Amino acid sequence: MEIDKNQAIIDYLLQCPTLASNPMFFNCVKAESDNKQIITLENDKVMDKTYIDGSVEKRYTFTIIDFRAVTYNPIVNQLGYSNENVEQLLDVQGIIDWITEQNNLRNFPNFGDKCLISSISSTTNNPRLNTVDTTASPALAKYSTSIRVEYLDTSQCIWNN
Amino acid sequence: MAVNQFNLPKGQRAERKLLITVAEWKEPATTEGGEPTVVREVLGTRTEESSIEYNPDISTTTDILGYNYTDVNKTQPQQDFDPFLVIGGSKLGAKLNDIRKRNALAELSQFTLYVITAFIGDATKGYEAERHTDCTILYNSMGGDVNVNFPISCYYSNVITNGTVDKLTDDFVFTPDITI
Repeated sequence: MEIDKNQAIIDYLLQCPTLASNPMFFNCVKAESDNKQIITLENDKVMDKTYIDGSVEKRYTFTIIDFRAVTYNPIVNQLGYSNENVEQLLDVQGIIDWITEQNNLRNFPNFGDKCLISSISSTTNNPRLNTVDTTASPALAKYSTSIRVEYLDTSQCIWNN
Repeated sequence: MAVNQFNLPKGQRAERKLLITVAEWKEPATTEGGEPTVVREVLGTRTEESSIEYNPDISTTTDILGYNYTDVNKTQPQQDFDPFLVIGGSKLGAKLNDIRKRNALAELSQFTLYVITAFIGDATKGYEAERHTDCTILYNSMGGDVNVNFPISCYYSNVITNGTVDKLTDDFVFTPDITI
């Protein structure tokens, strides 16, 4: 059965506590603090690897955008004090850690029985700070993390095991 | 016997997946007095390129007029599968690994190889196939970088029976051609 991979990704990400407990948007978003956005990316067919049995190794890549309200408090070298921006980044990092943990547990999105997923991973070790929107009130930081799913598409195989 | 034509529209190239190699061997019966089990596995999972190399032994002589006469003394067909990854569910991988552990080299020559040319024939009439008995499958190395690679070479015996297979699944039935 053909599975909508976008829906499969949404269903999968809703298992992540950080993502599930905040408003999540698909491609279009209302930019407010704590809102999350899934953006689909183009996947270059040049990267596909075709095998002699007709199966094709493919990638599905998407980006998770995480909006966070920022403060302008300087870092203070004081025991027990933590900077809000540092804490926010640590929280965003949690999404990457969750993806890594799921990959280790081999808990993957469901792409259907014709797609064998071999891994899901973030393309970077840390989230990227894309921009800070100072016109918003409060100012809004936009963090992004790209996630890659590698899978074997066996739909074109003619041999039925 | 007439030559069977390719089941392809004029000018269309055959996709690589239409040339299929299947390994077959027998596993001993698990119960006393039981029958051995025939096991099959299609080769080429996650292999990007593999060809049957015929390795001909050729001798050429030239007469005093300058004409060449070429004799093909023998062919020694061989097909390599590299990578041949250690993958969950691979029956042949498990079989070869068991032979490797025991260094039971004689057991490497117990294989039957089918070469199925699925670009000749169809699901109704069957697909043209060759059965090569007493073939050898040899593991060449074990290791690699990210995944465990266990590349193999298949050595064809040249003991060939031509025929057809009725379907493209592990439980196909091979029917030898009838020679009149």
